[in-house]
This record gives sequence, structure tokens and C-alpha cells, in this order.
Amino acid sequence: MALACPMNFDKDKLRSEVWLTYTQVAEDPAGDYHFHRGAEYAAKHLGYDLAALKALPLAATEVFCGMGNPFRMGALENGATVIDIGSGGGMDCLLAAKQVGPNGTVIGIDMTDGMLERSRGAARAAGLANVRFEKADMTRLPLADDSVNVVISNGVINLAPDKEAVFAELFRVVKPGGRLQFADIIMKSDLSEDARNNIDLWTG
Amino acid sequence: MIEQAGFREAKVVEKFDPFLGTNKEKTARKYGVDGVNFLAYKR
Repeated sequence: MALACPMNFDKDKLRSEVWLTYTQVAEDPAGDYHFHRGAEYAAKHLGYDLAALKALPLAATEVFCGMGNPFRMGALENGATVIDIGSGGGMDCLLAAKQVGPNGTVIGIDMTDGMLERSRGAARAAGLANVRFEKADMTRLPLADDSVNVVISNGVINLAPDKEAVFAELFRVVKPGGRLQFADIIMKSDLSEDARNNIDLWTG
Repeated sequence: MIEQAGFREAKVVEKFDPFLGTNKEKTARKYGVDGVNFLAYKR
């Protein structure tokens, strides 16, 4: 996970490439992409409970593109306030909403309209009233200071050009005693400047 | 980076190979990419 973009890196281009990729996934989940998708992948490779995924609306599970499984690090507490950074089709949010129960709240954050439409529809179809989805940038969350118990995320923070700003924002919104519980990718060693300037590597 | 933001007890709990079987598998290996589950606390 690179710390930040090189000085001359086009952050707006990266943002638009990410937006385009995940808009395409929202519109055509069966298309040809460089990452796995769907409930079968999540169960077989990441340890999700396939029966629990099958119980969720297909609109949420067929566009799942996560890289790990935030729930393997512990169950979410009943009544907790949870945010999901880059909530996509909402699969992890729906699972979280069931864990925290009706006294808890789950807020999915995404910047892609197609994914937000899917996740909101999936929450309605699942009959879960304790989950909502907000369009926002992960460095400017529409949340009060010290208002969140747990941050989950799944393969999204690596897409941010300024990760220091992301973690500073997460620290702002998490309550003392709260936690980050997320899945993502990391680099075993620093990338060359050429590699860091290659936008295909950031998005792919 | 996460601890610089103020979080504590940051640790990788588990690793995955999220690109296994995808058309980016070789690229991920070339650049040493691991999928991880990660945990950190605000004390």
C-alpha cells in the first residue's frame, strides 16, 4: 500500500478510473474484470458463510469484489455503529446490519451511483431498516467526530491516492475504544516511481 | 501509517491471495501484493 501519490500523479484521473470500473461492475457484474466477484468466490476463497450470502439479495452479492473478510476478525457487537468504506453493492453492510441488530446502525459509504442504487435496493429487499448508504469521499465522511464503533472495508482503501488522509479521517470518526477491522492489499516492498505513476496498477 | 494517524495495536491478522486465478495474478506476484485482514484500535 503506497503512502501517497507521486507529486505529478493525476489523482483526478485515478478517481475517475476507479469510478468507471465500479460503475461498469454495477451495470454488468458478469463482465470481464481483473478481480473475482460474487458469493461463490467469497465463500470459497474468503471464508464467508455461503448460506448467509444466499439469503441476501442477489443485487448485493453478485457485485461483491472484496479481497478479504472483515468478519473473520470478530463479530460486531449488538447495538454498534458501523461504517463500511467503499460499500459497493452492500453485501458486507447487510451482513453487518444483521450482526448489530435493530439497535445498531450500519452506514455504507461509496462514491459510485450505480453501486449506491444497488445497495439501497438490496437493503429494502432484505427488509433491513438499520442500514443506510451515503455518497461520499472516504477522506470527507459525513459523520460526527467520535461517532463510530467499528470501521469495516474490503479492498477499497488501497484505491485512495492519499491514504494518510483516509486514516486521519477514520481516526476522527471512530470513538475511543473503537476499531478498524478491514481487509485490503499491501505491498511487501516499496514500488519504483514508474510503477507508482502507472495508473493501471492503481486501478488493477 | 495507521499508527501515525493515532490508531494503536495495528496488526495483520490473516493473509489472502485475492488475485489467484485472475488475469492480474502475475502482476500481483511481480509487485509482491498480499491480501490481508487488518485490525487496529483507537485507545
